[in-house]
Amino acid sequence: MDGPSTELGRRVRLTDVSVALGRHPRAAAGSVAVKQLLAMMDGFGIATAVVSNLASRWHAPAAGNRELVEMLDGVDRLHACWTVLPDVCGEIGAADEFVERARTAGVVAVRAFPADHRYRLDGPDLTDLHGALVRARLPLLVEASQTSWEAVEAVAHRFDGHTLVIGDVGYRSLRTVAGVLSRCDNVYLDISYLASHCGLEWLVGRFGAGRFLFGTGSPLRDPAEVVTRLLWSELDDDAVTQIGSGTAGRLFRTERKPS
Amino acid sequence: MSLAADLETAVFDRVPQRAVSIVDAHAHVGPYSEFFIPQCEPADLVRVMDRCGVDRAVLSSHLAIQLDARSGNEATAAAVAAHPDQLAGYLVVNPWQNPAEELARWGDDPRFVGVKLHPDLHAYPLTGSRYAPVWEFAERSGCLVLTHTWTGSPFDDPKHLGMVADRHPEVVLLAGHAGALPEGFDQAIEVAAAHPRVLLEICGSYHSGATITRMVRALGASKVVFGSDFPFIDLRYSLGRLIFADLDTEDRIAVLGGNASRLFAWRGRPPADDRPTG
Repeated sequence: MDGPSTELGRRVRLTDVSVALGRHPRAAAGSVAVKQLLAMMDGFGIATAVVSNLASRWHAPAAGNRELVEMLDGVDRLHACWTVLPDVCGEIGAADEFVERARTAGVVAVRAFPADHRYRLDGPDLTDLHGALVRARLPLLVEASQTSWEAVEAVAHRFDGHTLVIGDVGYRSLRTVAGVLSRCDNVYLDISYLASHCGLEWLVGRFGAGRFLFGTGSPLRDPAEVVTRLLWSELDDDAVTQIGSGTAGRLFRTERKPS
Repeated sequence: MSLAADLETAVFDRVPQRAVSIVDAHAHVGPYSEFFIPQCEPADLVRVMDRCGVDRAVLSSHLAIQLDARSGNEATAAAVAAHPDQLAGYLVVNPWQNPAEELARWGDDPRFVGVKLHPDLHAYPLTGSRYAPVWEFAERSGCLVLTHTWTGSPFDDPKHLGMVADRHPEVVLLAGHAGALPEGFDQAIEVAAAHPRVLLEICGSYHSGATITRMVRALGASKVVFGSDFPFIDLRYSLGRLIFADLDTEDRIAVLGGNASRLFAWRGRPPADDRPTG
């Protein structure tokens, strides 16, 4: 690698794949509406974002998904990320029907909270949904603390064409993460808290920048952390651009929103 | 441009900052058994410091805090000797491994500018009598003591810090991680507010620009000290919070390095250069 340049600067296009609107019940994270989110993005030079609704995680997943579409209506820089559930209780509809509704609503990715919502990522109740997501090319985002790496690997192997993006990796997981990335080409990492010292450079050297996506984890995490981490990394400009937005552009259909 | 703008521009331009002296008051060196650290040798640390524009880091070896204080302090001394302008050392005292002997061995060595305690790793309470030689040394020398703190710990909860500060009001105590967990930040602030020589150090997974700002507004910038915990946690995650935090210029200078330069001055080391240090 050539090392960082002094010219790339604010020209680095950033796509935040890990950000949420709403009010967090377990942190002094404020209440984030679209206006505040856009202001935050402008402050950190973030061009576009893939956005979840905290209400889907912490209160009512289906209602939160509907509310999210309304909140993002007409805001071209923000793309919806719906929260999924197994359909055994009829909460979100059958898998193909759910995915079709998501596509129609302009949803570009979905997020799962298996620990918070009490189901298994690799369980039989989610099989149909994984299949429907693969057919629709909708990436699935999961925080590492919401499942196990064994479950991630099992799903990745069972659904070849799936795209799994794992966030909140922390700094204690490289021994596990490196193994999973080496065995599963369809597993990617959101770097919002990939906090192992020099871990990003080490992983990119092994697996290429195309396995990593920029995400802030806001509002729970401070966007300043990952912006500084990525831009002051020892990666060359091409790798930074790839992580900043290139990988997301390849995996997420964020080119345009439905009118 | 303002200092904040200078720092942010350096980040966005991907060049090291040169506007202010930055001192990292909580760093380590070497491998750690629980997880893999790709780059953890002294030269690796200095290279990343240069990448960001961090002038100095004060560190304790992972060997010293994890396994063996004696050989670990030797590793710390060797790291400082190899990079005397950029690294300084904490002398680790393990309460189970001859505290008095270790203090006698290294107490006059200028490579060490503070004492580091890790009650959680050593499974011994900060308030325990085995630490008595540390308090005696610190009272006599003016040496700062950095202790790990973790809210809810039976060994180093912020309340333990308050108890030690009550008993040893002359000792400068730096609360590593400031309690570490969000539910403990308020208590850490209360302890620091109640004790003139207790300061808060701000590394860990749960801090943010907002928590740093809150601490500065509650205590004054002179009682908040930048540390990163690298290479345990990446230096840049910790530093980014402070660079973008909502602080005025004087406060940012103090937290980034001015306070640390003052705290470690008992050893007579000069500041890194003539840039602002508060």
